[in-house]
Amino acid sequence: MDGNSVDPATPKLAGMDQEYLMRQLKAFAAGKRRDETMTGIIAGIDPNDFSRLAAYYGKMKPTPGKINDAQLAAKGKMLYDDGNTDSGVPACAGCHQPDGQGNARFPRVAGQHQAYVLKQLADYKSGRRATDPLMTTVGKRLTVDEAKALAEYMAGL
Amino acid sequence: MRGFSALLFAAFGCTLAIAEPQWNASYAEKTEALSLKGDVTHGEAAFVICQGCHRVGALGRADGSYPRLAGQHTSVLIKQLTDVRSGRRSNAKMLPFADHSALSVQDIADIAAFLQQLPVPADQGQGSGGDLALGFKLYAKDCVTCHGERGEGKADQFYPRLSGQHYRYLLRENRLIRDGGRRNANPEMADAIRHYSDEDLAAVADYISRLPLTPAR
Repeated sequence: MDGNSVDPATPKLAGMDQEYLMRQLKAFAAGKRRDETMTGIIAGIDPNDFSRLAAYYGKMKPTPGKINDAQLAAKGKMLYDDGNTDSGVPACAGCHQPDGQGNARFPRVAGQHQAYVLKQLADYKSGRRATDPLMTTVGKRLTVDEAKALAEYMAGL
Repeated sequence: MRGFSALLFAAFGCTLAIAEPQWNASYAEKTEALSLKGDVTHGEAAFVICQGCHRVGALGRADGSYPRLAGQHTSVLIKQLTDVRSGRRSNAKMLPFADHSALSVQDIADIAAFLQQLPVPADQGQGSGGDLALGFKLYAKDCVTCHGERGEGKADQFYPRLSGQHYRYLLRENRLIRDGGRRNANPEMADAIRHYSDEDLAAVADYISRLPLTPAR
């Protein structure tokens, strides 16, 4: 209940910006973002409670993630800070902040579960998640190995 | 006589048609962005989606992959950005980030205002310094009229400031312009450097990368 999911497929919400959380709740409610679990759950929530939910999770203290492969995380750090100039992947740090804290427009990625990050990047790539056209581009330009390295690095931020 | 008049008319009509150079033709979005008052504070916020590539402070990369934008004229920034997003300048990497879904016309004006007033540190990438005499000679012959003695460009003519730009980016764009790949380039420039060898291009880019830094005017 503290917003720090222990299931690697379910995102940690603790410490995310309230405005960002609100936007995602509304996107799920409107069917613009779909997820097997969330799409079912959102139907049972009164939209009037969205702002209270967003405020609640936003105020929770996030727990750190866990790096399993330091070498992979080091590759991820290079990509996170510098991007890939050959394929046109921008540095993640540009929008998500160097420390991964995010803001109202771009979500917090620090300490997030690897599996969840990988799923989102794959969903952007496939077009299943289309909440941000910039991330659709980034998802398409990332290789599978790059995505794995990034997810590993973000977990340790 | 009638034939001559017709010829004169044709020539005159033709002059009228090219009075506005094609490389810098007006189109609605560019005209609108140029007419808007840019807000520096909002421009800084809007620039966030650009800084993953152009870097914090818009300093670009010495490897030439992304140009320095700090200190560039607002007119130049607006022209290049709207040219990229309207397909007048090819840039596949940048295109999605310049798309209408990412930037409003006001955002473009604001970003340009923000970038123009940024400081330009003297740490841009430079060439080898191997043939600066040749670089100086070529610059004085073919570049100085438009880009200025100090590489300051001309804001009202849409001629970019060159001082402070990374050598490798200058070289990349010089090559593209010489070889006809930068479609929105001034044809006068393409003509001027058409016969440049790769060594000539390198020498002049090297010279430019060492110009003293003055604020864009």
